[in-house]
Amino acid sequence: MSAVVASALSQRFGIEVALDAVDLTVDTGEHLAVLGENGAGKTTLLRIIATAARPTSGSIAIFGLDASSERRRLRARIGYVAHTPGLYLALSAAENLEFFCALQGVDRGRVAEVLDLVGLGDVAGRPAGKLSRGAQQRLAIGRAVLHDPALLVLDEPDASLDSGGADLLARVMRDRTAVIATHDHALANRLCPRTMELRHGRVAGVPTRLRIVQ
Amino acid sequence: MRSLSIALAVARKDLASEWRTRELVPALAQFVVLALVIANFGFQFDSRTAPAIAPGVLWMTLVFAGLVAFGRAFAAEREQASLEAMLLTPAAPAAIFAGKALAAALLLVVCEAVLLPALALFFNVPLSFEVVSAVLLATIGMAVLGCLFAAMVARVRARELLLPLLTLPLWIPFIVIGGQAVQVGMGAGSGGTSSATSLLIDLDILFVVLTSLVARFVLDD
Repeated sequence: MSAVVASALSQRFGIEVALDAVDLTVDTGEHLAVLGENGAGKTTLLRIIATAARPTSGSIAIFGLDASSERRRLRARIGYVAHTPGLYLALSAAENLEFFCALQGVDRGRVAEVLDLVGLGDVAGRPAGKLSRGAQQRLAIGRAVLHDPALLVLDEPDASLDSGGADLLARVMRDRTAVIATHDHALANRLCPRTMELRHGRVAGVPTRLRIVQ
Repeated sequence: MRSLSIALAVARKDLASEWRTRELVPALAQFVVLALVIANFGFQFDSRTAPAIAPGVLWMTLVFAGLVAFGRAFAAEREQASLEAMLLTPAAPAAIFAGKALAAALLLVVCEAVLLPALALFFNVPLSFEVVSAVLLATIGMAVLGCLFAAMVARVRARELLLPLLTLPLWIPFIVIGGQAVQVGMGAGSGGTSSATSLLIDLDILFVVLTSLVARFVLDD
């Protein structure tokens, strides 16, 4: 079964075309890497998949539901890591997650589990603003998996992550469908069996299946 | 029930952030005291005219303090890109909006707790139950309207200019009716405050319902 089916997705900002007739299918449990230069349309595509933006034209269905009309239902099943962590800097790491537990309707007991998963168990009480940029990114990843989403949408999650970042991403993507935007071909190669390259808002060639060569 | 718990969680989060950073309330408290000091020297008043002048000073100060308080409610979220994270949960946008408005209103009430005694001190006017209730009732309606427009303009570059332009016309009923109630409460106007209080409650209900309905479209575009 397909987790994401997008057809002729286009997004325009005034006269600027950010996405131009993009077709995309991601199977359930599949990991897809979206590659491309800055301004290629990766973030726009991921924001549409995460239901953070509506396309100007085209259609997108996620888990069989229309992503425009069923946004709230879908959001319970999607975890999104945006370009910026979007944390509450005055609140501690644990408080940030506890707040999102309330919004997601998730038991607070999940907070400690997620903090351990992303390697922040030792700094749970530290204000998010006092964490390093890498730790903030880990916290944002933790927030995205707090409600155990079936689909994970990760927009350049490797930015500012340390050497253990790839392992963390592999851990959180396990047993989930994932769409990840990155500049890092090696990371894409390691995490995703399939890649898609965007160029000027268009799919550049047929999506590729990569083979990991040891 | 779930919407109520979400609204309370959002309000608690905003109040905890303000308590830790102390960004807004100390600045607003200083602002209201300074405004009263300026008004104290700017107006020629005596014990007879003070009850007529003080309500005007009160509402002018409250309006400007409110614009700052409500403007920050969503501007800070946009700057940190945290509003989108909140909206990408299954939580109802109206509940998120209600929580933001509640926190902003409570922060303004804290400023009013400084403003009203200071006004009584500077202008030597009585601080009656009618005065306090009129200000608190007006705060509810002003908060929901202020927060709605603050959410609307938060993504616009000229938001500091747009927020007063959009908000002030809709605050006029609160200022007029609340002003009358405060004047009567301070002994300057004639008649009772009960009709003004009823009108303020009606306006509060009207705007709370309206903004709750519109919030979804403003927040979750």
